[in-house]
Amino acid sequence: MNAKDLKVLDSKIQSIKKTAEELKKMGEDFPALSRNVSRLLASVKMLELNVSDVAGIK
Amino acid sequence: MISEQKYWNPVLETLAHEKVRKLQLEKFKRIFSWAYERSKFHRGLYEKAGIKPADIRSFDDIRRIPTVEKSMMRGIQRKDPFPYGDALCVPLEEVSEFRQTSGTTGQPVYQADTWQDWEWWAECWAYILWAQGYRPKDRVFLPFGYNVFVAFWAGHYAAEKIGAEVVPGGVLDTQARILKIQELRCTAMMATPTYVLGMADTAKTKMGIDPTSLAIRKITCAGEPGASIPTTKKRMEDAWGAKVYDHAGATEIGAWCFECEAQSGGLHVNEAFFLVEIQDTETGEYIEEPGRRGKMIITALDRQAQPCVRFDSKDIIEWAPEPCPCGRTSRLIKGGVVGRSDDITKVKGVLLAPSAIEEVVRGLDGLADEFEVIVDKEGDIDRITLKIEILKGREGERKRIEAQLKDQLRLKTNLGYNLEFHDYGTLPRYDVKAKRFKDLRGKH
Repeated sequence: MNAKDLKVLDSKIQSIKKTAEELKKMGEDFPALSRNVSRLLASVKMLELNVSDVAGIK
Repeated sequence: MISEQKYWNPVLETLAHEKVRKLQLEKFKRIFSWAYERSKFHRGLYEKAGIKPADIRSFDDIRRIPTVEKSMMRGIQRKDPFPYGDALCVPLEEVSEFRQTSGTTGQPVYQADTWQDWEWWAECWAYILWAQGYRPKDRVFLPFGYNVFVAFWAGHYAAEKIGAEVVPGGVLDTQARILKIQELRCTAMMATPTYVLGMADTAKTKMGIDPTSLAIRKITCAGEPGASIPTTKKRMEDAWGAKVYDHAGATEIGAWCFECEAQSGGLHVNEAFFLVEIQDTETGEYIEEPGRRGKMIITALDRQAQPCVRFDSKDIIEWAPEPCPCGRTSRLIKGGVVGRSDDITKVKGVLLAPSAIEEVVRGLDGLADEFEVIVDKEGDIDRITLKIEILKGREGERKRIEAQLKDQLRLKTNLGYNLEFHDYGTLPRYDVKAKRFKDLRGKH
C-alpha cells in the first residue's frame, strides 16, 4: 500500500469522524445516540492509529 | 480472504525503521503535550526538570525527560480525583475501566482507562493474536477468573475483535475447564505458564486425559517469563501438543511486545504503539546495540486517561541482533523479559536471576514442574535452598538427577545450592502468578 492509498483511506476515516462528531453534538439530550457515538469515535481513533498517523509520515 | 493475511496491519508492521522512528517521535510529542497540559502530576514533574512540550524535538530531548516509577504513582493515589489522584488526564466521568496492579512488588497501583483506552488495549492485543496465528475460525478458551487485574481481559476483547469465538472459563475449576475445552473443541487458550503446566498435570493425573488429544493448538502466555524460557516452553508445548507463544504487558503500560509464529527466540516490540528505551542500570547510558542488557523505560504512545510516559518498568531486556524472519520490521527483544532489576539479587556476591534456576529445573528429565527457591542466611553466609519434586515412578533416579542438577545450576548461575527433594505433589501449586522465589534475608 503506497502513500497515496493511505491518504485516500485517511480521508474516508476523517469523513466518518466528522459525521460522528456532528451526530454527537445532535445527541446531547439523546443518551442512546450520544453514548453509542462515543464508542464509535473510540473505534475511529483506532483507525487513526492504524492508518491516519502513518499517512502523515514522510 | 482476511484470514490468509499474514499481518494485522500490513502497513505499520512492515514500515521501514526510519519511518517508524519518525512516527514514534511525532506520537511522543503528542502524548507528552497531552500529559503536560492535563495532569498536575506530570506537569509538576516536567516543570521541575525545566522541560516543556516545545523542547521535544529529538530522541535525545526525550532522554532528558524524568522517568516515572511505580512508587511515585503509589504516592499520588487515593487522593482526588479519587482514587486515581492527579495523574488523571480526563474527567472522572470519562473513565470506564478500573484495574489495579497485582501488588507483587508492594501496594497495588490503580489504573484508569477510558473506553478509547480500552479499545486501544484490545487493539494492541489484536496485533499479538494475529501474529500468533489466531484467526476468526478459532474458538478461544480463557481459563482465568477475571477480576480487578488486567490479565487476559484485553486478550478476551482482542479475540472478539479479530473475529474469533471466545469461551470465558472464569469461575470453573481446573477439571471443569478441561472438560469444557474437550466438549467445545476449543482451539486456543491464554494462561500463565504455571497454569498451563498445572492444567496439563491435572488432566493427566486426575482425569486420565492426555492434553495432546484435545484440540488446543495455540497457547498465549502472560504474567511470567516461562514462555520465553526454552525448557519451560518445551514442557508446555510437549504437554499440550500446541505452539506456545509469549507476550509481555503490564497494567500501567499495555501489551507492548509479543512472540510471532516464527518463534525466532525474541519478542517483537509493537513500535508503532510503544517507545522502548533500554538503559544501562550501572552507568545510565542508553543502549542501542544488541547483546547488552539494561532496564526498560517505556512510553505508551496513545494511552490517555492515565498516561504512561517514560515509565521505569524495572524489566531487564536486550535488543536481539537479527531481524525476525517473519518480515515484521519491528525490533525484537532477545529471550523476552529476562527478569526485573529489583528481582535480580546478589547471593554470595553473585548476581542471580530466578529465571536461570527455572530454566535448569524445567530442562531436567525426571523433575516435576514445581519448585521453590529460598534464600536465607546461615550465620553470616548466604544460603540458597532449592526445593524440587521427582516425578512419580522416577524416584530411583534421584542420584542421577541430583548430580545433574548440581552441575547445571553451578554452570548456569555460578552458585552452589542446598537441594531438598519433596514428594511429588507436595510443593505449593499456583493458578496465576507463582511466587517461587523467596528471599528471607531482609535488607541486604
